[in-house]
Amino acid sequence: MSLIQLDGLAKSYTIYQKQEGLKASLAGLFSREYRTVEAVRGIDLQVEQGEFVAFLGPNGAGKTTTLKLLSGVITPTAGTAKVLGFVPWRRENAYRRRFALVMGQKNQLWWDLPAQESFRLHQQIYRIDAQSFAATRDELVDLLDVRGLLTQPVRELSLGERMKMELIAALLHSPEVLFLDEPTIGLDVVAQHNIQKFLKHYQEFRKITILLTSHYMKDIAALCRRVVVIAKGQIVYDGSLSGIIDQFSSHKVLTLQFANDTMPSDLARYGDVLEIAEPKVTLKVDRNVIADVLSAVLANHTLEDVSVEDPPLEEVIAEVFSQSQSSSPSAAAGAGQGGQETISDVSSA
Amino acid sequence: MTGLVAYVRVFLTFARNSLVRDMTFRSNFMIESISSLSWMLMNLGFYVLIFSYTQNIGQGTDAWDKYQFFVFISTTMFVNSLVQAFFMPNAEEFSELIRTGGLDFALLKPIDTQFLISLHRVSWSSLSNFGFAVLLMAYALTHLDYTPSWFQVLAYPFYVLLGVAIMYSLMISLAATSIWLGRNQSLYNFWFYITNFSRYPMEIYRGPLGTPLRHFFTYLIPVLVVINVPARLLAKPLLPDYGYLALFALAATLASLVASRWIFTQALLSYRSASS
Repeated sequence: MSLIQLDGLAKSYTIYQKQEGLKASLAGLFSREYRTVEAVRGIDLQVEQGEFVAFLGPNGAGKTTTLKLLSGVITPTAGTAKVLGFVPWRRENAYRRRFALVMGQKNQLWWDLPAQESFRLHQQIYRIDAQSFAATRDELVDLLDVRGLLTQPVRELSLGERMKMELIAALLHSPEVLFLDEPTIGLDVVAQHNIQKFLKHYQEFRKITILLTSHYMKDIAALCRRVVVIAKGQIVYDGSLSGIIDQFSSHKVLTLQFANDTMPSDLARYGDVLEIAEPKVTLKVDRNVIADVLSAVLANHTLEDVSVEDPPLEEVIAEVFSQSQSSSPSAAAGAGQGGQETISDVSSA
Repeated sequence: MTGLVAYVRVFLTFARNSLVRDMTFRSNFMIESISSLSWMLMNLGFYVLIFSYTQNIGQGTDAWDKYQFFVFISTTMFVNSLVQAFFMPNAEEFSELIRTGGLDFALLKPIDTQFLISLHRVSWSSLSNFGFAVLLMAYALTHLDYTPSWFQVLAYPFYVLLGVAIMYSLMISLAATSIWLGRNQSLYNFWFYITNFSRYPMEIYRGPLGTPLRHFFTYLIPVLVVINVPARLLAKPLLPDYGYLALFALAATLASLVASRWIFTQALLSYRSASS
């Protein structure tokens, strides 16, 4: 059995639809309209020990909801899940000692105290013996280079420094499974890079299993071999990052550099013209006909240089996201409970 | 036993961290201590004023004379300061944790969630009233016209703790309803209403209006036993008639704790977190 096993996992919420205006608010005291929002719609997934898996998806796709289900924070509407052999929402202490959840937008450290005070509290809560605690803390503090900040109140740390402290707090008990929900959100490029470097090193060294959600493609490219794309609460792709292009991109980018300033005027017959910078032109060409187009160009023109490339990954993913959002009639409906989710039912109560 | 020791250690760390934090904002700490103490002194002054016009409260029944009533006031201060120091800030924050989704982190910890939510902050400034209550109690006891037995002296703190447990149960139950209601900001109002009823001797609740009130706040929401039982135990000679009330206080505490545990657990099952 896999370390993480999800079968038909689903979660839906009933959300009160507040109407605009005083009259509607008064009416809402007596009769309210509710909508069912399906945040996660029957996810099947297996993750093996030691994998570093990225959850990719637009806002409200169901990524965070899935992590919350796996952490036992919320209970599902349907389906089953097992992590390390435990059903997460039973909230057994034996399970809670073996995983950790870090949320980039939420803070679990005591705001007014230095982070080291929160670390000591974690030591007591997770019952970590003094020797292991000191060794793990020192290792993490050195890896993240925050020794000088341990005595500074958390509220006086920068966002990047605070995230490092959050990671230390989450890893003090040496979890076997780590859920990371947008750990680099809001961080500058340097801070993002530092967190990525740390996570990569830590995962390779400890061989723990990590599920990561992030909007930053660089996070995912740097860390994860396996990517799970979630849209509208369902898995639409599970594989390598580069495989996303093969599956979702219908075109390639063809760059031609014509010799002797002989650029033709009828470029549109080869494909969609993306950019012209004479004597260079960039075309978007259907990937099924790329060989034919290239043959025709070479037969009719003299070229100095030619290149065929996949479109940038960000562009492909943005396209997948926008497709999933435009096909959803309720893009903003579930914003209060994890962003965009699908409305399946409108009822009155 | 290991589990109990671990819980005690966690609580001591909560208490320590809270003290470190309170000391960081020492002016705030001083203002809180002084304002809370001033409120108690004003209350005491009010009763001193009443006793300048009368010899006792609850005439025609088992009345309370001045020094007996000072024992009653001290008991109120003990219970209130303990509840306000250990549970009030946490119950209040619980509602906010539910609304903002901050409860997520509490649910991840390998420790009883109700314990974590109920005790993770200690308001040390509220304990200033406790110190004042000790002095007032010592003064009242030396002026009582009888000497309480050792049994009474030993049973007293036990019944004070039972009173604290009843108040805590009511408070955490009300706070837990925030999970279903989305927001419940009536906690302070509730505290004010309830303590208003509990801080007077039961004997004043008589007649067509008072008797139903006494029954309601004794048997349904047992706040009248919170102060009355321990205060009576120490301030007055033991009478066989009071035995049933002492037993009832014990049963009411157990029932309150069990009920609050059930409400808390059920509420947690409905927790839906908040947007990240």
